[in-house]
Amino acid sequence: MTMRSTTSLAIGAVLMLGAPAPLAMAAEFPEKPITFVTPYPPGGSHSLHAGIITTVAEPYFGQPMISVIRSGGGGAVGATEVSKSGADGYTVLFGDPTINSLRPQVEDLPYTTEDFIPVARINYSPAVFVARADAPFDDLASMIAYAKENPGDLVYSNDNVNGFTYTVFELLKMNTDTDMKGIVYGGGGPAVQKLLGGETMAYAGAPSVVGEHIKAGTLTGICTTDFERWESLPDVPTCGELGEEIIFHFWRGVLVPAGTPDDVVAKLSAGFEELVKDEGFLRLIGRINSRVDFLGAEAFGALMAEEQAQLKAVYDNLN
Amino acid sequence: MPVEAIAHGLAVLADPMALAAAFLGLAAGIVVGALPGLTATMAVAVLAPFTFFMDATVGIPFLLGIYKGAIYGGSIPAITINTPGTAAAAATAIDGAALARQGLGRKALEMSLVASVVADLLATLVLIFVAAPLASVAIGFGSPDFTMLYLFALVMIAGVSGSSAAKGAFAVALGVLLACVGFDPMSGASRLTFGVIDLWGGISLVPLLIGMFALSEILVQAERLGREKLAQVRVEMSAAGITRGEVRGAMPTILRSSGIGAFLGALPGLGAEVSCWLAYGMAKRRSRDPAQYGKGSLEGVAAAEAGNNAVCPAALIPMMVFGIPGDTITAVLLGAFMAQGLLPGPLLFEQHGPVLYGFFAILLVTNAMLLVFGLGAIRYLRHITAIPPGVLYPSVIALCFAGAFAVNNAVFDWWIMLAGALLGYAMRKADVPIPPLVIAMLLTPGLENSLRQSLTLSDGSLLIFVTEPISATLLAVVAGIVGFLGWRSLSTPRPSENQQGA
Repeated sequence: MTMRSTTSLAIGAVLMLGAPAPLAMAAEFPEKPITFVTPYPPGGSHSLHAGIITTVAEPYFGQPMISVIRSGGGGAVGATEVSKSGADGYTVLFGDPTINSLRPQVEDLPYTTEDFIPVARINYSPAVFVARADAPFDDLASMIAYAKENPGDLVYSNDNVNGFTYTVFELLKMNTDTDMKGIVYGGGGPAVQKLLGGETMAYAGAPSVVGEHIKAGTLTGICTTDFERWESLPDVPTCGELGEEIIFHFWRGVLVPAGTPDDVVAKLSAGFEELVKDEGFLRLIGRINSRVDFLGAEAFGALMAEEQAQLKAVYDNLN
Repeated sequence: MPVEAIAHGLAVLADPMALAAAFLGLAAGIVVGALPGLTATMAVAVLAPFTFFMDATVGIPFLLGIYKGAIYGGSIPAITINTPGTAAAAATAIDGAALARQGLGRKALEMSLVASVVADLLATLVLIFVAAPLASVAIGFGSPDFTMLYLFALVMIAGVSGSSAAKGAFAVALGVLLACVGFDPMSGASRLTFGVIDLWGGISLVPLLIGMFALSEILVQAERLGREKLAQVRVEMSAAGITRGEVRGAMPTILRSSGIGAFLGALPGLGAEVSCWLAYGMAKRRSRDPAQYGKGSLEGVAAAEAGNNAVCPAALIPMMVFGIPGDTITAVLLGAFMAQGLLPGPLLFEQHGPVLYGFFAILLVTNAMLLVFGLGAIRYLRHITAIPPGVLYPSVIALCFAGAFAVNNAVFDWWIMLAGALLGYAMRKADVPIPPLVIAMLLTPGLENSLRQSLTLSDGSLLIFVTEPISATLLAVVAGIVGFLGWRSLSTPRPSENQQGA
C-alpha cells in the first residue's frame, strides 16, 4: 500500500468521525447535525442504546445525529462537557440518575442538577438483586437473616460508588438495618465476574446483565426494585411483594444544558417521541433485551425533581 | 460435539457475503491498526451500529475481521517507522525497527505475519475446543490473583525492555504516577488534576502514546537529519524474505508465546498490550541468544507478535461464555452480539451453537486471508522505510495530529500528545525506555482496583496475597525476578547499548 492511499484513508476516517456535514437550508432548528454525547465507555448499555438511537435518528430531526463517546470520571466528564456547551440544542447528553440526580447532589462536581433541562426519557431498568447459586441464602428473607447473624460478612459486588448497585444496596441496608460489605469493581461486567468466581455472594444489576445467568441457574434472582415484575423475569418477585419497599429506576434519558430555548426543547422532545416508535428502533431495542418507557419533557422533568428530592433525603439520612 | 457443530457452521462459509464482509473488515482493520492513533476499539465502536441492521452472519464477521486486522496492522509501522500503530505492538517495535534499520525490513514484516497467523490459528482452536473449561479456570481468578498478575507484568516489563532494569523501573514508576491523574476509581475524588477539567478523565493514553513514540521519534530524526545529508541516511535494503529455517527456529518461541497470549486473553481484563510483553520477556529469558534481543532478533519479533495476536480469539472466550468482556474491544463486540439477538452468557452456545461455529469457521478462514493478503502487501510495505524522510515524517506528523484528535474529538488531547513528544524525546536522550511507561499507565488502573478490592475484602490485611494459592505463587515468581534482576545488575558491568535510541 502506498503512503498516499493510507493518507487519504486516514483523512476519510477523520472526516467520518468528526467533521460536520454540509449545513441544511432550513432556517429553523435543527440546521446542523446534533451531537449525542454518551458519558460512558463503549460496550455498556448506554453506548449500545446510543448506537441504536443515533442510527435511526435522522428522519425524525431532519438532521443526522452524531454519537460521541466522552467517558471518564464515572460519567462526570461527559456531563460536565455538555453542561458547559452552548445552550442551543445541538449538544445533548445521554444521562441517567447517577450522573444527573445523585452525584451532583452528594459530590463536589463541576455541574449541578440545575445545569440540565430534561428532554425525554427513553426507558428504564429496575435493579435485580441476585445471589450466587451456592451462596448461603436464596431469597430475600434468608439474605437479610444471614446479614443480621453475620454482620459485615455478606460481601457483595458493587459497580461504582454512588452508582446503581451502590444506591439500591444502601437502600436495602438502611431499610433492614443490616451491615454488608460492598466491593467496588467499576462496572457490571467485572462485578458479575467476581460474583460468579466466588469472591462475592450477591449483586444487584440491570436485567440485561443478570437475566441470562438467572435463566441458566448460575445466579438466583432475589427481587426487583420495580412496582411490577419484569416481563422477561416473571419468576423473580418485586422487593415490595416481599415486604421491602425498594423502588429504584435506572432511567436512560436525553438532557440539554440549562438555558436552551423552550421551543428547541419541545422540538427535541417531540422528535424523540416519534423516534421511539420507529420500527427498526423497536426491533433493535428488543434484541438487546431492552424496551421503551417514553416520557416527554414535562413528565420527565417532574419525575426527576421527585427522584432528586428522594435521593437527597436518603443520603442525608445516611450521613 | 464441537466437530459436528463446526460442520454445521461451515455452511456459513458458503455465503459469499459473509466472506466478503470478513475480508473487507480485515483489510480495513489492517489500515486502522497501521495508522498510529486510529485504534481497533475506535474502528469497531464507530462501525458497530452499522452492523445492527445487517445479518448476524455478515455483520459479526465484519467486526471480527477489523479486530484481527487491527492487532496485526499495528506491527507494520512498529517495524517500518519504529512507531507502534497500537499499544499492543510496542514490543514488536524493539526488534522489528532494529531489523528495518539494518535493511532487513522484509524479513521482520514476514516474521511478524507468520507469527501472527500461527498464533491466531492456535488460539482460535483453543477457543473452539476448550473455551468452556478455560473460561471456568479464568473466572476463578480473584482480586488478589489479579493484583499479583499486574505486578508480575510490570516487573517483567521493567526488566526486559531497556538497557538496565533500574531505568526500566524508573519508566514504570513514572507511568504509574501519570496513571493516577484523574478520578479516583473508587471514591470519585479528583487526583492531581490541578483544577483542569480536561484532566478529570485522566491523561488519555492514545494521544500520549502517539506523542511519545511517533513524534519523539521524528524529533530525534529531525535532529539527526539536521546534521547529515538526506542521502546518507538511506539504508541499503535487502529483498530477502524469511527462510524456512528461520521460521522453524522461531517456532518454539511462537508456540510458547501463543500459549501465553491465549491464557492471558481468556483472563478478563488483561489484553494484547500485556501479553506481548510477557511473551517477549519469556522468549528473551529462554533464548539461546538473548544478547541479540533489542538489536534485531527475528525471534523477538515472533515472540511479541504471537503474544498479542493469540489474545484476540481467546478474549472472545469470557465474552461469549460469561458475557464478560475482557477489554474495551470485546466490550464493543459484546454490544454487537446483543444487537444481533445473540445474548452472550451461559446459554449462548446452547441456543445459537451453529451460528457461533459459523463465526469460528470464518475466523479460521480470515487467518488464511491474512497470510495471503499480508504476503502480497509486504512487497510494497517494506518500501515505506525507503521513502525519503523529508516526505515520510511530515506525513506521519499530519497523521499523528489527526489520530490524536479523533480519539475523543478533544483539542486538549493535542497538548497531551505534544507533552508526550517532549517527554519521549527527553527519555530517548537519557536512554530510558519508553514502553514501560506506556504499559504501566495502561495497567495501573487495573492494579489499583484489584489491590484496593483485595484490601477491602481482607479488611486491610496484606496477608490475603499469601493465603490465596494463585496469588502466593505469582508473588514468589515476582520476588524471584526482582532478586535476579538485582543480582544481575550488581554482578555485571553496565551494558552500553540501548534499542530505544534511533
